[in-house]
Amino acid sequence: MSIAHHPGEELLLSYASGAANEAVALLVASHLALCRQCRLVVASSEAAGGSLLEDIPPVAMSAQAYQSVLSRLDEPAAAIVRSAHLDSSVPAPLRAYIGNDIDGIAWRPIVSGLAHYPLVTRDGVRARLIRAEPGAGVAPHTHRGEEWTLVLTGSFSDVTGRYGPGDVQTTTPDIEHQPTADPGPACINLAVTDAPLVFRGFLPKLVGKMFGF
Amino acid sequence: MTLPSVDRLNAAICAIAATRDRAAFQIVFDHFAPRVKSYLVRLGASAPLAEDLAQEALLTVWRKAALFDPARASASTWIFTIARNLRIDAIRRERRPDLDPNDPSLQPEAERDAGDSLDWGKAEDRLRTALAALPKEQAEIISLSFLAEKPHSAIAAELGLPLGTVKSRIRLAMARLRLALGDSP
Ligand SMILES: [Zn+2]
Repeated sequence: MSIAHHPGEELLLSYASGAANEAVALLVASHLALCRQCRLVVASSEAAGGSLLEDIPPVAMSAQAYQSVLSRLDEPAAAIVRSAHLDSSVPAPLRAYIGNDIDGIAWRPIVSGLAHYPLVTRDGVRARLIRAEPGAGVAPHTHRGEEWTLVLTGSFSDVTGRYGPGDVQTTTPDIEHQPTADPGPACINLAVTDAPLVFRGFLPKLVGKMFGF
Repeated sequence: MTLPSVDRLNAAICAIAATRDRAAFQIVFDHFAPRVKSYLVRLGASAPLAEDLAQEALLTVWRKAALFDPARASASTWIFTIARNLRIDAIRRERRPDLDPNDPSLQPEAERDAGDSLDWGKAEDRLRTALAALPKEQAEIISLSFLAEKPHSAIAAELGLPLGTVKSRIRLAMARLRLALGDSP
């Protein structure tokens, strides 16, 4: 898999710092499972976090803090689970939400050839899976906020280019696009939007409202 | 009082993993608990909550010491990620989608399976130096990213800067940090 489109470094940094909410973090972590290059960016950001922790002026713990932790060291703790290899097209961080089998998802149809499956919404930011049959796509729209789309299977294209497995498309409010699934296997992607899309035309507007796009 | 060196702290966590060494645990506790508490207070936790979570973080260090790998991250970086995740879980009450760095299904394969030669412990030393040498305006944004839980748009507003400027400073800073790691972009 060769990944051509990566999340912006500010997104990777907000994942590393913990500022990103769950919906955004799900998209970033799923990309990381597929992309060594971005894992290194996140690891360097976390090292910056470690360095800031090292340099922070300490705040004294209470007098009995150490004793209180000592008294808990022998409490039974959950066993450490190590990940086993799993042959799945679902990136590890997404498995907590949908399991291992991408074909087992209870898709909710939107229009012909297009279905979705909501995952999580935090602070008005929604993460959902979108499944588009070849040729199907989302009607022309612009955005009030940002939209990030991670391709899991298949590929899609729009005016900005072609996106395949592992790629993350980032769109900003100034872009109007009509993403359409390419010929081949169905295009399944993880889409995160921080504001409703703005559709052109009455019918897409209505459909968009009904399905919360 | 001199601070324990990075190597000493790394070795202390390895000793906890190997022999459940309580003297080593006390070194780690004394050094990190007050820093974790400070980090949590900086991010808005009340003092009693920060105290509880700092204790919890150090208890996690004791329990998960076997997962610590000094070739992957220094003690402070590893403990930073523990504190960050505890905070998301306890204060924001959100799940943290996370990666197991040893997960064999990571692609391409997990770094060391691929025969990667990067010694992360050494690389972090260089990264620290690079961080200290960042131009002030870049360092400020990196530091705010970790110590003020705000989206970059809010940081931009607070500093009276266009969002584009904040993003480009982040990119410049990250490029320098990556260079320090010796990883070509
Ligand atoms: Zn990437």
